[in-house]
Amino acid sequence: MARKILRIKMDDLSYKYEEVPSKWAKWGGRGLTSNIVAEEVDPTCHPLGPNNKLVIAPGWVSGTPAAPSSGRTSFGGKSPLTGGIKESNSGGTSSQKIAKLGLAAIILEGMPKDSKWYVLVITKDGVKFEEANDLLGKGMYEVDEILWKKYPNKPAIIGIGMVGEKKLSNAGISVNDPENKPGRYAGRGGLGAVMGARGVKAIVVDDTGGPGVEIANMDLFKTGRKKLTDAITSHDLTKPGGGLNSYGTNVLMNIINEAGGLPTRNFSAGYFEGASKISGEMIAETVEKRGGGMTGHGCHTGCIIKCSNIYPDEDGNDLVSPVEYETAMSLGSNCGIDDLDYIAKMTYQCDDLGLDTIEAGNTIAVYMDSGALEFGDKEGALSLFDEIRQMTPLGRILGQGVKATAEAFGVFRVPTIKGQSMPAYEPRAIKGIGVTYATTPMGADHTAGYTIAPEIAGVGGKVDPLSDEGKSELSLTFQAATAFIDSTGYCLFIAFPILDIPEGWAGMAESVAGVTGQSITGDDVISIGKEILKVERDFNTRAGFTAADDRPPEFMRYEKLPPHNEVWTVSDKALDEVFAWVNS
Amino acid sequence: MPTINVTLYGDIAQYGSGKQLATLDLDLPQDANIGLLLERIRLPSEERGYLFVNSVLHDVPGLNASHNDPLKDGDHVGIFSISHMWPYQYRQGIHLSDTLKAALEEKGVMKNTYRE
Ligand code: SF4
Repeated sequence: MARKILRIKMDDLSYKYEEVPSKWAKWGGRGLTSNIVAEEVDPTCHPLGPNNKLVIAPGWVSGTPAAPSSGRTSFGGKSPLTGGIKESNSGGTSSQKIAKLGLAAIILEGMPKDSKWYVLVITKDGVKFEEANDLLGKGMYEVDEILWKKYPNKPAIIGIGMVGEKKLSNAGISVNDPENKPGRYAGRGGLGAVMGARGVKAIVVDDTGGPGVEIANMDLFKTGRKKLTDAITSHDLTKPGGGLNSYGTNVLMNIINEAGGLPTRNFSAGYFEGASKISGEMIAETVEKRGGGMTGHGCHTGCIIKCSNIYPDEDGNDLVSPVEYETAMSLGSNCGIDDLDYIAKMTYQCDDLGLDTIEAGNTIAVYMDSGALEFGDKEGALSLFDEIRQMTPLGRILGQGVKATAEAFGVFRVPTIKGQSMPAYEPRAIKGIGVTYATTPMGADHTAGYTIAPEIAGVGGKVDPLSDEGKSELSLTFQAATAFIDSTGYCLFIAFPILDIPEGWAGMAESVAGVTGQSITGDDVISIGKEILKVERDFNTRAGFTAADDRPPEFMRYEKLPPHNEVWTVSDKALDEVFAWVNS
Repeated sequence: MPTINVTLYGDIAQYGSGKQLATLDLDLPQDANIGLLLERIRLPSEERGYLFVNSVLHDVPGLNASHNDPLKDGDHVGIFSISHMWPYQYRQGIHLSDTLKAALEEKGVMKNTYRE
């Protein structure tokens, strides 16, 4: 059965299945969400108004048998945080179930006329609109529990916490993990507020009896799958017992700190003296010592990398899953907090309230920078989540994210680009990532430009990756490769083995070709990725973005970052070169 | 006699009597270098990943570019296990020692590992 688009109209509570138009037939994941948003959403619309849409799409290979680590879902729309196009990508249980229902995408549009809230229940038989008034004001932990009790077959739950209900700009979208915990987030860009504006508290997806995913060429798919699986399971970083499996993404904390690039105390230093206490190594020690929680946890069935963890409390009981590097930076080093237990407690609050952890921690850091709270005050930081939960005026400001909080409290050190705050790599110390932060259509985003092999990217021998000169071309290549991987449904972390093992790269492309029937090889990846970027950049141009939006914050040009005492030196011209080809 | 502060990250912390993290202060002779330090803590090169001296990257997994790099009193050395990851895009533009820079220009800077 050919994939369908499920269009859900909240203004009259109706839905219909549509054929995927030929112009979109080749897309999955991010490629599909961005194309739909670019065509169906007015770039000048208010993100919370009736003309924005939330588009949800599994990747090309999601839902296929044993495609490794392929459970990623793309969420797209116009972002309340950046005002531009947004694709936010999540693990969890949703991708495979949506794909197995035969759906290429779900488009959520309109707003209920009766101002009521709904739970949408999607099964092979269609969509049921159930009133959600009993779930309002509830956190995602309780919502997931209630919905798994109410609906059989352990469905995927896509939901928003109180912050999404109030349509604040730092609202993320939660997806439950295999244990029905809400820690997998399409966090960035405030898409939870876009979902809230449609009057939808949660979407229940039960794929029982669904048609499954059609595979055009099973032999090719299996060949590609094997090559990719072999690459993942043999690489030091992604194999069982490898870096990601043992320490999670927080394996980076000590490395980035040793390099002097760890955002610390609202991006005022690149070295945090307490980094090792909040690192992946310390999580591994804590799990062993407390006899609870775990490392090597998978965010969805079929992940063979398993970078997630479950952090235990002092008594060894599961507290929250996962504590990631970005979270430990934003709620830890960037707030001057060196206590993992507090970082875990704040992560729990974020997951329950429906906040993106990166933006939430960076927001607290900006608030601290205003003098309202001391850096390192972990009790004070934790208590701010009560303000958000109670939706006090302060809580509402904090729920709006870094930029709004900086404006409300008179802070000039505002680590945002296009309104979205920076993740865990200081651009003054790691300048290559700064080029990507500045120019990606998504706002400052560390997942926008993943490295791929130079011979594959076609940049090998053409640029010197050690000099400032090559950064524009490399950033574009990385962004294009990432846009492609974000469309596959594969987790971005497959980028590590396929960088070092060429058969892995070929295997990824072959598995996609096998599923879709398109003739895609490794050589096509960059051009396909660039098509997606062009659509996204064009949306932002129509929304009013200019070159001035592709710049790091001003303070990074004059405030020297210890320990290397560096400022941002990449020229505006170099930044403008990244996407000069779009308009030429 | 120079004293060098060393932190070992990951399972190599066992060479400093730790589990996942170990910090030690080592007294080394005047002409100390990184090779000597690794010998002193008995860390085999095949178990050594990224290596930093005072926030400057001196070595990467599978290369032994740093062994002749000198150390001086008060230096801090951070050493990671080979399973530690550091994707290229998150290290593009960081400070490298001259010897490592030359070695990477030869080997290809964007790889995650240089082990055979
Ligand atoms: S590697 Fe980590 S983030 Fe990626 S799919 Fe697996 S558990 Fe999820």
